Amino acid sequence: MLVTPALLLAGCERTLNALLARDPAAPARLDALAGSRLLIRFEQPHLQLLLHFHRGGIDLLRAEAFDEADADAVVELTPETLSEWISGATVERLMFEGKLSVRGRTYLLESTRELLTDLDIDWEGELARWLGATPAHSLAEGLRRAASWGLRAKNELMADVSEYVFEEARLLPGPQQRRVLRDHLTELEVATDRLEARLKRLHRRLTQHTSETQDTSEAQAKRLSDDSGETPT
Amino acid sequence: MSPTEKRTTHFGYQEVPVDEKASRVADVFHSVAARYDVMNDLMSMGIHRLWKRLTIERSGVRPGHQVLDIAGGTGDLTLKFSRMVGPRGKVVLADINASMLRVGRDKLMDNGVGGNVEYVQANAECLPFPDNSFDCITIAFGLRNVTEKDAALRSMTRVLKPGGRLLVLEFSKPNNPLLSRAYDEYSFRLLPKMGQFVAGDEESYRYLAESIRMHPDQETLKGMMEAAGLERVEYTNLTGGIVALHRGIKL
Repeated sequence: MLVTPALLLAGCERTLNALLARDPAAPARLDALAGSRLLIRFEQPHLQLLLHFHRGGIDLLRAEAFDEADADAVVELTPETLSEWISGATVERLMFEGKLSVRGRTYLLESTRELLTDLDIDWEGELARWLGATPAHSLAEGLRRAASWGLRAKNELMADVSEYVFEEARLLPGPQQRRVLRDHLTELEVATDRLEARLKRLHRRLTQHTSETQDTSEAQAKRLSDDSGETPT
Repeated sequence: MSPTEKRTTHFGYQEVPVDEKASRVADVFHSVAARYDVMNDLMSMGIHRLWKRLTIERSGVRPGHQVLDIAGGTGDLTLKFSRMVGPRGKVVLADINASMLRVGRDKLMDNGVGGNVEYVQANAECLPFPDNSFDCITIAFGLRNVTEKDAALRSMTRVLKPGGRLLVLEFSKPNNPLLSRAYDEYSFRLLPKMGQFVAGDEESYRYLAESIRMHPDQETLKGMMEAAGLERVEYTNLTGGIVALHRGIKL
């Protein structure tokens, strides 16, 4: 059904624009990009998206009715390349490796990544819009303190549990004990290898000795039979 | 009796003189203008936004284009088009109804839309624009209220530039009998009650349901667009055919 992808895209657009609206740095970046259009072609799944930048955010449109001439830059990529690009790989490197094809104004790509990945959302400002500056600040301070206490409590709990399990109750080996055990096991492994090598050597010598003894006996027997054969003449 | 007086047209399920339809439709929209957006969201459960979104995606509008949004009502399409055409382009929001136009203008101004949008009170049957003026024309949920649909389509084709697109988003005929049955129950029983409850106007929403049933189906409208001089006419059924998006190109 046509409406389902439109719904997904509308949801993405709304979320993205809501986040951009809460980033104090976004308006300046959007001003610089306003009016630009970036056409993104995904190879797998086959999808064409047109990103239209305006002062209020980004319009995400499926690009069925648009062609390359409608866009300032055209990018062709795979989802893997997209994740690499968002993770910080440079456009130049991706292009050099043949993972990314860009036509048009390539700086649009860098500006888009900067806009989307450098989001610094001002939650306190958003709260202030709803509750007023003073209650919002108190609430934000409270949340920050609660978060910091939560983090500290979590670290202390981890340390206490670790100490009890490894040191007091000795339920599990600690890192030091594991290291000692690993050293002992390595020594045992080396000794076993050495013993195995010795056994092999002994076995080889024993085999060699047995075959030499057999050869000597056979030679003596032959000599004796030869000697007894000369007597009638 | 003169021939003009004898001619009638449908107003929902009623037959009314041709001259009366425009004023009756105007009354309906004067009545619902203030609550139009709320009712649209409520009646369609918000899906009308997706239908309009698809219309925008199919429009192919780009910076610098001239766009005409007929029966633009409260300006949903105009808002997006004004961003897409940028400062070099222009969007004309046209509606026959002054109340709807006023609500649309206020809403757009509240959204910071100004420089590239013009507002024109105009009848779609005789658009007050020169020939070959617009790159794209849209009419969303407006054509069924027009008295002379053929004249309106001819007028739109006239003002469209060669290569320009006309997009008609309008209620149509569901293609699944089960859906059709459920849709009838919804529109004739529930919809008027919702209209009464939210907008205090049951009759207007009864008219809405009736006018949808009287509107030409997908193939008929396609034929009408072709007869008006448009080429490569195609349509897409949305939500099982409850709504259809027709697109034609002037070559």
